[in-house]
Amino acid sequence: MHIIIIGCGRVGARLASLLSSSGHSVVVIDKNPEAFERLEPSFKGKTIEGVGFDRKTLIDAGIEHADALATVTNGDNTNVVVASVAAQDFHVPRVVARINDPVRAEIFPKLGITTISATLWTSGRIFEYLISPELHNVFSVGSAGVQLYEFEVQSALVDRKVGDLNVANEIRVVAITREGVGFIPVLGSVFKWRDRVLVAVDTRSIDKLRAMLGLTN
Amino acid sequence: MSPLSILIVGAGKLGRETGLRLSDAGHKLTFVENDHESAAKAKEIFGDHVIFGDGCDPKVLERALISNMQVIVAATGDDEDNLIIAELAHHIFNVPCVLTRVNRPENQWLFTAHRGVDTAFCPVATTADFIKAEIDKHTKEIQG
Repeated sequence: MHIIIIGCGRVGARLASLLSSSGHSVVVIDKNPEAFERLEPSFKGKTIEGVGFDRKTLIDAGIEHADALATVTNGDNTNVVVASVAAQDFHVPRVVARINDPVRAEIFPKLGITTISATLWTSGRIFEYLISPELHNVFSVGSAGVQLYEFEVQSALVDRKVGDLNVANEIRVVAITREGVGFIPVLGSVFKWRDRVLVAVDTRSIDKLRAMLGLTN
Repeated sequence: MSPLSILIVGAGKLGRETGLRLSDAGHKLTFVENDHESAAKAKEIFGDHVIFGDGCDPKVLERALISNMQVIVAATGDDEDNLIIAELAHHIFNVPCVLTRVNRPENQWLFTAHRGVDTAFCPVATTADFIKAEIDKHTKEIQG
């Protein structure tokens, strides 16, 4: 794929290096040329010094045939503007903007921009580690609106059915690993002691899940 | 003509001068400014109607009662900020009329209706055009 990254800070440089070593064609844009020193020696892509929403800079970076664009500068506003330009003016199929301010991270998806908020994600992970170590976070979906957790079945769930744990739009059991074998259960499947369960949960319903698992504070 | 409720984000020289004209015409003004010096100067003229904060922050805009505003002027010295303000004002807060300043002429192409901009004004381009037009006029006089 041809991928453009705006912002060569720690996140941008790491992302660019990962993509380049995975074989993608990568162009990194940053207004400060010293930022490119953060790129790993193995980086085989191209760097351009310039402002991320400058039309000429974007065209030089190949935005007209780009498959994806990530804007990960330190400035939320810059990231939103660049994402908007990439998506609406240049029709780049996949666009992601990093937004640090949690309030803006929640508002801008309404404008059709996919956002990743490190602030929300990081504070969420630390929250869980402090409050809920029995639930092991596997993956965050979207802007941290839905989480995938893994937990081990203890007494609260033994002999209960998968359908008992599912809550429409809030909690959904995705897969069970039993004695090393993974399977996708049906509603009538019964939990067994020490099953490892993969469950998708709306972030707002984590407390409900904890209560159902008998994990109270 | 009934007075309009107008929010001006950016109380620098341009914002303040614009504010004076609007205020003299009887409109109700509120300012948002996040530089202490500019905010202080604005307060001398407009008093309590100046709110200190970042106009790109939806919470600050709510403090400025943006939902009651009929017009918003994004007059900051930063084009990204002006674009964000326009986007928020139009798409989130449904302000009927959104005017934005464009600082760098090369950025004019960004200030479109689907980004929430009803009218864009670019002082640098407008003034440069004016100067050229004046010189063209004088050239005709000089060369006959």
